[in-house]
Amino acid sequence: MSLDVQLVLLLWGTLVGLDLVSVPQIMIARPLVAGAGAGLILGDIQLGLRLGVVFELFQLDVLPVGAARYPEYGPATVAAVSAGHLLTGAGGLAIGALVGLPVAMLGGLSLHLLRRLNARAVHRAAAQIEQGDPRTLVRVHVGGIVRDAVRAALVTGVGLAVAWVARVTIAGTLSERGFVALAVAATAAALAAAWAGTLRLVGRGQLLRWFALGLGGGALAVWLR
Amino acid sequence: MAPLTPRPRLGTSLLRLFTVQGSWNYEYMLGLGIGVAEEPLLRDLPGGPGGAAYHAALGRGTHFFNAHPYLAGLAVGAAARAEHDGASPEQIERLRTALAGPLGSLGDRLVWAGWLPFAAGLAIAGIALGLGWTAVAGFLVVYNAGHLALRWWALRAGWAHGTRVPTALHHPGLRRAMAFTAPAMALALGLALPLGASYLAAPFAAGGRIALAGGTALGLVLLWWRPMNLTGLRLGLTLIAAALVAGWVWR
Amino acid sequence: MSIALYRVDDRLIHGQVVVGWGQPLDASFIVLVDDTVRASDWEQDLYRMGVPPHIEVIFASVDEALRRLPEWEAERRVGILLTGDLDTMAALARGSNRVGKVNVGGIHHRQGRSERLRYVYLTDAEAATLRAIAARGVDVTAQDVPTARAVPVGEFT
Repeated sequence: MSLDVQLVLLLWGTLVGLDLVSVPQIMIARPLVAGAGAGLILGDIQLGLRLGVVFELFQLDVLPVGAARYPEYGPATVAAVSAGHLLTGAGGLAIGALVGLPVAMLGGLSLHLLRRLNARAVHRAAAQIEQGDPRTLVRVHVGGIVRDAVRAALVTGVGLAVAWVARVTIAGTLSERGFVALAVAATAAALAAAWAGTLRLVGRGQLLRWFALGLGGGALAVWLR
Repeated sequence: MAPLTPRPRLGTSLLRLFTVQGSWNYEYMLGLGIGVAEEPLLRDLPGGPGGAAYHAALGRGTHFFNAHPYLAGLAVGAAARAEHDGASPEQIERLRTALAGPLGSLGDRLVWAGWLPFAAGLAIAGIALGLGWTAVAGFLVVYNAGHLALRWWALRAGWAHGTRVPTALHHPGLRRAMAFTAPAMALALGLALPLGASYLAAPFAAGGRIALAGGTALGLVLLWWRPMNLTGLRLGLTLIAAALVAGWVWR
Repeated sequence: MSIALYRVDDRLIHGQVVVGWGQPLDASFIVLVDDTVRASDWEQDLYRMGVPPHIEVIFASVDEALRRLPEWEAERRVGILLTGDLDTMAALARGSNRVGKVNVGGIHHRQGRSERLRYVYLTDAEAATLRAIAARGVDVTAQDVPTARAVPVGEFT
């Protein structure tokens, strides 16, 4: 993979990471979009979509309500597609998931750290902000956005580095059976996470009926295919 | 009520609202972002941008606040209009406090637990049915049509109603949206789960599919029971670590 | 089923309460105990907007809540009781032996408070109030959402 492509992936991962919380929240941070974008950059749209679906299912376990903490699956999906690119059989999904999940955890931790750094910056300027000084306010606010961009770039950069290391070291040590075991494990966890998240979201009330209706339709579509 | 401030300022405020969480932190949460978005709407206060009223209002605008980011515009517009209408600082603080929780709850239900999983569910189903990149593009278009409409409506409604902003939340369009999104979300996710499972299982042989079904069932039981605060991510990390060891041993 | 969650949260009704806790608990009613909100029609109107139509919101003053707690505890439906500050919850715990567990869901930054958890900021007096509630045999923990760890009172006061 050329340096140019790596740089484009880094830029895409940074935009994806920035979109999650800071700006503009148009949901390119969702794994489906992040994965498809990375697949398009690498010329491997099918792997991008497949890993996008896997991480989107993990994301369904996360409900970002009221300042709760959560993993960050967007840049992780970009790194995962980079890791799985050009691997044959189940290898793409296996190595992609192996790289993506720890990077998602790292992304979540980095968001926590960013919020702490933002609080420190606000503390330093608290008196001027309380007095309604617009310059200080905008400076601190823009500083937070720049900090988030740096954070997203770092997470994506680390993810791409881990992807390279995983391809060079781990991918060669696994047989096709090993790839299948990894891919099955990651997919099973993703499906379980999506089911658990959906059932929590749907609750035990009347929405269960709508869910059951959808489930029936989905099962019918699978059977007809 | 005729607008006091030129319409372009609402546009500037709306653009700034796209960054409302830019300086999010555990102490002020959205506070600074709200102040930044409110600032253009405060420039016409008596005394102008250098005046005491402007500085006092801007300082108030940055206090602790949390709400759903897409509906934050309602608080921005309402607080700015209340400043123009001469509401007391105590009234404005009370308005902000009272708006935070309901705007968070409404937005979380409408967007995070409704519109977003609905659109994501449809996109997963679309990819599984072979629509590929089109499903992803469709997700972005559908989701953001609702997203942008909600942001613009919230800011304008807050600005139009000021301290009477609870009236705005009785808007029939909002009620219809609330009534639609929850069942639509449940239906779309119901559709997506079997289709997504079938799509992801397609490359595996029979043995792999059986292991996948068993692993999913076991994972679901564990996630439902949640021993030691197990999350989807932790389950995934545990299973792939076990599979990696198994893959090295079982060649 | 009665009241499944006694929660202190200065944002009162918001996403963590309605979606985070309300949906998995299948809550059918929320009791909001706050003397100021009880006296304000427009604030009650706002808080009603924050919940879906199938959830009933009951606004009560501290005195009303103490009187009606046995009735709510005898409900067949699942409910959540919310207070916006610790003093209100302490008054309920002192006045009734029905409060067996208290969930601290969010008390945020203000002048004089220091960080105990990322979503719990307390003055020393507020920390003492929490310990006093716990000393009555009430199980006090901090937990913002159901998927997070419940932190025992001894770890954050």
